[in-house]
Amino acid sequence: MVHLPIVPEWFLGYDIILELAFAIITLIVSIYAFKIYKLSGQRQSKFFGIAFLFISIAYFIQSFLNFVILSKLNENICRGLKIASVNFLNSIGIYAYIIFFGIGLITLTYMTLRIKSAKIYSLLLIIILLSFLSSSNTLYLFYLLSSVLLIYIFIHYLMNYLKNKQAKTLLVLVAFAFLLFGSIHFIFSVNHGLYYVIGHFLELIAYLFILINLILVVKK
Amino acid sequence: MSRKRGRLQVIHDILKAIQERDGKIRPTHILYKSNLSPQMMNEYLKELISKEFISENKTKRGKTYSLTYKGFEYIHKYKLIVDFVDSFGLS
Repeated sequence: MVHLPIVPEWFLGYDIILELAFAIITLIVSIYAFKIYKLSGQRQSKFFGIAFLFISIAYFIQSFLNFVILSKLNENICRGLKIASVNFLNSIGIYAYIIFFGIGLITLTYMTLRIKSAKIYSLLLIIILLSFLSSSNTLYLFYLLSSVLLIYIFIHYLMNYLKNKQAKTLLVLVAFAFLLFGSIHFIFSVNHGLYYVIGHFLELIAYLFILINLILVVKK
Repeated sequence: MSRKRGRLQVIHDILKAIQERDGKIRPTHILYKSNLSPQMMNEYLKELISKEFISENKTKRGKTYSLTYKGFEYIHKYKLIVDFVDSFGLS
């Protein structure tokens, strides 16, 4: 069952723009990671690219879904697909978002573990995705488990910064800290609309830091 | 104390050694230039051949190695690769 997050009315529309921006930024990062993989054959870059590609798709879905709900399109789509209610369409969209974002985060966490095992990767995917989909409150569990995964990712970037103290590694560390705080805020967005807004702004800061880091790397 | 060389740097050193010898070099020279054990060097060479960074040429006097386009590209973009990998914690 999907409990939809509470979205303040004044924020409707802004969330679509922000999610579209996140989708574009993560897509750019993904393309660059694949480019680095092509140049170096480095395995971690491939997983990083895959992770960001899935996250990007998740944001595109979320953005499109929110756009459909806000516009008059929903009636036409429901009629076209012979779906009775907009809520059903909304639920499908949220499940798609959860699956894609979940795969992205699991892939990123797997990359940070620095292990080479298809069995462990598939086990992580199956256990986490099944628990998302079989929960009585899917969205709540999704944000909760995303926060747990982000804690592991944050620790990886903290170690990376301690090993290599540079402005760029600090930028990425702070970015993942904001993503973690954002994810924690989304846990509460199931009951309070304000947390949904704060979560989006924290994500905006995080993705801007990631984009700035990418620009610094590429422009050098 | 010098930091342990990373994998990307070892690959760069091998490719650079091949490039400096006009793109053709014998295994003994690679061993000398890359500062690796023979076993490690063979593993790296195998990997570089499989990733098409270098090609192996068999002559009457033994094996030589030459850079491919991918190998040249790696050397050219090495700084970008290292910066991306280091900053995003991919090393």
